[in-house]
Amino acid sequence: MTDTHDTNAPPSESRRRFLIGSVVTGAAPLMVRGGEAEAADQPAAQAVREPVTVQLDVNGRTHRLDLDVRVTLLDALREEIGLTGAKKGCDHGQCGACTVLVDGRRELSCLTLAVAAQGRDIVTIEGLEGAGDELHPMKQAFIDHDAFQCGYCTPGQILSAVGCVREGHAGSADEIREYMSGNICRCAAYPNIVAAISDASRRMGG
Amino acid sequence: MTEPLFPQPTGTMGRPYRRYEAHEKVNGTATYASDVRLAGTAHAYLLASKIGRGRIEAFDLTAALAVPGVVDILTHETVGGQIRQTPSLYTGGYAADSVRPLGSADVAYWGQPVALVVADSYEAAREAAQKIDVAYAVAEAASSFDSGGAEHSELEQHALRVGDFDGAFAAAPFKIDAHYSTPVQHHNAMELFATQCVWDGDRLTVYEPGQYLNNIKYGLAEQLGIDPERIRVVNAYVGGAFGAKGFLTQRTALVALAARRVGRPVKLVATREQGFFLSAYRAETRHHVQLAADQEGRLLAHRHEGWELTSRADLLAFGGNGMTVRLYACPNIESRVNVARVDRSTPGFMRGPAEVPYAFALETALDELAYAAGLDPVELRRINDTDVEPVGGLPYTSRSLMQCFDAAGAAFGWPDRTAEPGSMRDGDWRVGWGCAAAFYPAYAASSSARVRLHADGRVHVASGGHELGQGMYTMMAQVAAERLGVPMDRVSVSLGDTDLPPAIVAGGSSSTTSVAPAIMAACDAIRRRLGLDEGSQGDVVAAMVASGTGMVEEYAETRAHGEAPDTMRRLHRGQAAPSGGIHLEDRVQFALGAQFVEVRIHARTREIRVPRAVGAFAAGRIINPRTAHGQLVGGMIWGISSALMEHTDIDPRNAGYINANLADYLLPVNADIGTVQAIMVPEVDDLVSPAGVKGVGEIGTVGTAAAISNAVHHAIGKRLRDLPLRIEHILEDI
Ligand code: FES
Ligand code: FES
Repeated sequence: MTDTHDTNAPPSESRRRFLIGSVVTGAAPLMVRGGEAEAADQPAAQAVREPVTVQLDVNGRTHRLDLDVRVTLLDALREEIGLTGAKKGCDHGQCGACTVLVDGRRELSCLTLAVAAQGRDIVTIEGLEGAGDELHPMKQAFIDHDAFQCGYCTPGQILSAVGCVREGHAGSADEIREYMSGNICRCAAYPNIVAAISDASRRMGG
Repeated sequence: MTEPLFPQPTGTMGRPYRRYEAHEKVNGTATYASDVRLAGTAHAYLLASKIGRGRIEAFDLTAALAVPGVVDILTHETVGGQIRQTPSLYTGGYAADSVRPLGSADVAYWGQPVALVVADSYEAAREAAQKIDVAYAVAEAASSFDSGGAEHSELEQHALRVGDFDGAFAAAPFKIDAHYSTPVQHHNAMELFATQCVWDGDRLTVYEPGQYLNNIKYGLAEQLGIDPERIRVVNAYVGGAFGAKGFLTQRTALVALAARRVGRPVKLVATREQGFFLSAYRAETRHHVQLAADQEGRLLAHRHEGWELTSRADLLAFGGNGMTVRLYACPNIESRVNVARVDRSTPGFMRGPAEVPYAFALETALDELAYAAGLDPVELRRINDTDVEPVGGLPYTSRSLMQCFDAAGAAFGWPDRTAEPGSMRDGDWRVGWGCAAAFYPAYAASSSARVRLHADGRVHVASGGHELGQGMYTMMAQVAAERLGVPMDRVSVSLGDTDLPPAIVAGGSSSTTSVAPAIMAACDAIRRRLGLDEGSQGDVVAAMVASGTGMVEEYAETRAHGEAPDTMRRLHRGQAAPSGGIHLEDRVQFALGAQFVEVRIHARTREIRVPRAVGAFAAGRIINPRTAHGQLVGGMIWGISSALMEHTDIDPRNAGYINANLADYLLPVNADIGTVQAIMVPEVDDLVSPAGVKGVGEIGTVGTAAAISNAVHHAIGKRLRDLPLRIEHILEDI
């Protein structure tokens, strides 16, 4: 018996698909698999590895990077630019930890290739700021309502929450629960997350 | 609903300060292990075995090595003897399992690391790992209890016998005789299993999320054959752990060795799927419970036999029936534990490791007994409440079980329940109300801390404990601020570093119980140095100024009740373990609680929902009701999830897991969770620890599943005794 495959099971139809904006590259297999590997190994695969110059606009600053085209927006942010606030929880679009705002909408940066994010306005947790010296109202509400424990899902929750409010989906606790269900919190701070978003929504005029 | 959900402090509770590290967490600047940036880092990718048992016949690395950017590939062939065997935790060592990393051609379980690729980029490492060709000789793998190759045995050390069970059971008017089971479950903390290693000459720094950094340090030193003092393990934030990050896994030595071989820092972030095999997990269990009661509902006989599962490599079992048979008064008791060894990775600690499965069995059986005897389930517990455990006759240090039932029952509205199954309906919804007891042993360990007071009133507290989200930073600052009488905002905290005074494993709900006394002792020593009485309210800063001192620093060690004389030496070698619960000679100590849930089952779709849950818990002193509330509510949601959702599916053909990802391994999302209320019942217990704390990290998860199965029975009249409870189990029953 031989084994040449990555052990990752293919992502199945996710219950958490309604982060619609995110499925930019979701359907395209990122990894060369199985029989295709042989054929693709020649010129095409070499080209895949050739660095391309990518320009990313993140938090109001432009970054020019030479990247393997397979690099996701998440890895570009974390490994190349050094913005480690976006977190990797699955790399498969199943958890929401990597959520960032792209052109004002929430997207999963692990399912977005860096090359596909060029020319778009990207905001990460580090760039989400309030007025003057104040914290952004969503960040302040997360602190006030203790809407986290370990904090690992928190940047994604907060950016997703900002998107949720802007989309007009924070009208009731049930609506918040529904539209925040793309972000898993294993510490299970859910009731406090709902309270925080409800509070911030009011402060944001949402 | 925008009011903060945690309660205002009452009784002996401390104040609900906001989390010490809150700004770092909301701003994305909290540095988790994989966030540390090291210049010149090479990236690693693990290759995991895709057979359940057998041998590696050959590797073909040609295609992998040809991938541009690949710098090294570690296999058992290329590593040779560079990683030494260290005994597992269960045989006096450090490792989470006894399989030596890349130790031989043998494959002991599906998912075992068989190679580590190191490359200039993550993409190249992943591509190369996929191009490694492994030829295996496959042997048959036993996957679970009923597999042909499973080795079964009874563990004599867990056997208990009091009185005459058989006689009492046979003669009793009311009895229950039933079997229960719980499934495989995985922690799935949101943070992946990451490790970064960097050498500076012969000194190694490891960045890795851990619940016991000294365990990693000393275990790794043994594996690499180097002086432990040359290893430093650092981790200021852990992105959730729940038991999975307690002990040395195989990956750490591989990354450390790779970094030495390539002369660069090496970073590994294992994939979500690999995480299902890299660390421990909750193995499946089975239970046979027999209960008998007299006409008044008093327990006459209690027998609990458990079956647990472990790996071929490591013999371990939790034996939670040692606790469950001590919870209620009963004159005739038997308990036994059996274990099956199969070809899987070694299981281990997962939030309430012994308590969650054994409580499900006992607390469901008690509900069945209440129905058999025509008693209210709460009253059955009251009738059998006891201040003395029935096996050895030892006293509970404190016990507020019925206060918890009464507080939670009142908040839930239990008196409005009609007992008849199926009698409560709301349109198409069948409504069921159920309850169960929660318990968790109060454990404590020896620990150490250092406290420094500056003349300008600044205080620094240091202890090598761990911030998992439970609120360790906040607790440490709060204890020092209270003990020294300085404002919270003058206190800074260091933790998560093996260069700091050692603290115990962040496990067994024992961090606060163990570390708080060491901080208190160091603060008291500072007071004494300044000529102030220990218990006095004297102003330490004024005393500093009066004495003309610039800075005072004190280091303190505290030994937990019943600990052996060598406990401090063991603590300093990363080998101390918390004790307490039923393991003391003079007493037993438990946090106790009561769980109430409402279940709604839709008559047409059979959808099972839990719109509300109310728990009440008595766990000694609560230092910070805000962080404690988060732990309890999070624990209850874990309990709901363990009852209705979580189940790792085993492939019987190869002992692998079928649903090792976050789409197929069901975890609750926000829309799955309704109202969850946690009540903290005031309780004073000065015996468990000088801090009076019993710990709240795990108890919220215990008993919830039984409350839910009991509520399902109340809703539709059907007993479900196998977790998780799912739609497919009730298709015929409405
Ligand atoms: S890391 Fe992107 S969804 Fe999980
Ligand atoms: S705070 Fe830990 S996963 Fe959400």
